[in-house]
Amino acid sequence: MPKTKTEPVIVLKDLKKRFGIGDAEHYAIDGINLTIRKGEFIAIMGPSGCGKTTLLNILGLLDSKIEGEYELEERSVASLSARRQARIRSQQIGFIFQSFNLVTRLNVIDNVALPLVYKGTTQLNRLKQASAILHNFHLGEREYYMPYQLSGGQMQRVAIARALVNDPSIILADEPTGNLDSHSSHIIMEELSDLHKRGNTIIMVTHNPRLTTYASRVITMLDGRIDTDTGAPTRLEDLNTKRPLGKVSKKRRSKSRRKKEVKA
Amino acid sequence: MRFLFVNHIQNARQSLKSNRMRSVLTMLGITIGVASITTILALSGGAGQVVSSQIDALGGNIAVIRPGAESETPLQDLAQFPTAQHFAASTLTENDLAVVRAIPNVTAVAPMMILSGAVKAETSAPVNTAIVATTPELAEISDLEIQDGQFLDPNLSPYTAIIGPQLSVDIFGTEQSIGKTITVRGQKFTVIGILKRENNPINYNGVDFDGAAIISQDAGRALNQGVVQIQQVNVQTDTVANLDQAIIDINKALLKNHLGEADFSVLSGDQIAQPTNRLFSAIAGTTTAIAAISLLVGGIGIMNIMLVSVAERTREIGIRKALGASNSDIVAQFLIESLALSIGGGISGYVIGYLVALAISTLLPFFPIFNWEIGVIAIVVSLVIGTLFGLYPAIRASRKDPIDALRQYD
Repeated sequence: MPKTKTEPVIVLKDLKKRFGIGDAEHYAIDGINLTIRKGEFIAIMGPSGCGKTTLLNILGLLDSKIEGEYELEERSVASLSARRQARIRSQQIGFIFQSFNLVTRLNVIDNVALPLVYKGTTQLNRLKQASAILHNFHLGEREYYMPYQLSGGQMQRVAIARALVNDPSIILADEPTGNLDSHSSHIIMEELSDLHKRGNTIIMVTHNPRLTTYASRVITMLDGRIDTDTGAPTRLEDLNTKRPLGKVSKKRRSKSRRKKEVKA
Repeated sequence: MRFLFVNHIQNARQSLKSNRMRSVLTMLGITIGVASITTILALSGGAGQVVSSQIDALGGNIAVIRPGAESETPLQDLAQFPTAQHFAASTLTENDLAVVRAIPNVTAVAPMMILSGAVKAETSAPVNTAIVATTPELAEISDLEIQDGQFLDPNLSPYTAIIGPQLSVDIFGTEQSIGKTITVRGQKFTVIGILKRENNPINYNGVDFDGAAIISQDAGRALNQGVVQIQQVNVQTDTVANLDQAIIDINKALLKNHLGEADFSVLSGDQIAQPTNRLFSAIAGTTTAIAAISLLVGGIGIMNIMLVSVAERTREIGIRKALGASNSDIVAQFLIESLALSIGGGISGYVIGYLVALAISTLLPFFPIFNWEIGVIAIVVSLVIGTLFGLYPAIRASRKDPIDALRQYD
């Protein structure tokens, strides 16, 4: 059994995040030690208010006022300038938000192409890449729609397409399927596991236990601490995602049920 | 970086378009300011040009002697109340005229004694106008053309007059008034000539000849208690090359006459137009200051709207930051937007300013000046305003915390 350990991408040492001062002081993250290796698909679970989103913001370099140590690809984040952090966000990190967070005054394809702007891609290439990824998400005909003309599910798919357009090595997803029906969820999760198979590191916060089956490692949090951790897989095969068995789509299930009923 | 800049411009265009009414109203502040500056500069430039182009047209061999030394503080003088000094008699005398006439290369000397007073015809009400007592040489030096009749002639009676076409219309109701009689200070003059209409009220002689009466120097002396008060002497030399030497000679001769006191000035070329130009530049300066206030108000309008825009787009700023925009990207985005507002206002102000200047010039005897300096001033002013008032909102936008910004719902 070959033991493989890929290099660590994210190393957290006694990470703390404090909100408020004086009597109102409160640690949203209260001492997390965590090592995330390249190519892991991590699902973070836990009750509301346990610090999942805060952790994700810190990992995504949106929040730099932290105590403890955060090393991203062997560099201490504290030593990085704001500009450098912005460049890392632009080139290495893809965000998928809980709410869709599309820019309402830009159309779908411009929204998807937005991260490429800060990477310095030419306009033609931006639109080409954005168009290609929208086709992958079955949104090819919606390219010039405005966000308000889309359904919630479509908006989330656009948001996910936007997070993936830069081909980031780390994908941070905050309940990516929270607003989607199970059919769309399936498409999104398949896409995420595809990315994972191509060597991307994915960190996903979710409430849905079903989705943890896609993950290679499941961490549960409680009160700003890690409660349980299935640990980094030691075998190469474990890095591959597991596919949930059976059909995912409620629609298809109900359709087949209906067919059975008709037959009966 | 280049692509980013292009993108910022597209972005600004898009965001300004989506709030069209708001953008137009914001631009209006700058438009009004730049338009007034453009109008003022174009008109005052045009007025200045009128006088200097006249001197050019006269061939460059004209010098003008004026009483009083040249002031070293011409702009302060404009703001001063007239003191007793202002009413002192002119320092130029008939004796000076004789001296100037004797200088080599001087071909013509025309003194101008300007008496203001009422000109009366037998039947009509008196008209207040300029009465110029001079010599026949004025016609040649100042290029005065006769429409009807003749100019002053020393062989004729001193009580003959040449009148401008407008004055003729004003007192006789017609331009055909040869042989008629006008009365100045109780003395009757026979009209022997009508000047050709010039439409040139601003000139270096300081007299609008269209509405003036020209009489002989002798008659002028008689009307002024036997004293000749010369306000200006126009001197012509035979060639342009000899003008400089003639001016030196005139200065020497007059200094000697005036016992070494330089209480006169000999001017040539652009210097002649300077008092007129100074007056216009003083007017332009004052009105520019008022225009600057409207620009300031326009700039505050831009800042106000940009702050609103930043507040409205807080969430967008958060999204952009999360997707990799650095602080300077955000600053650039909002700064370019405010610059687009101010430059848009500047360009439309420049165009409107010229339209206004052209409209006003139909009421004035000169045209607005067209030169690149005014365009550059309009653009630079709007650039400065856009940067000055756009910087604070842009920096404020860039300082927003991305997490807080993302939490804000729009």
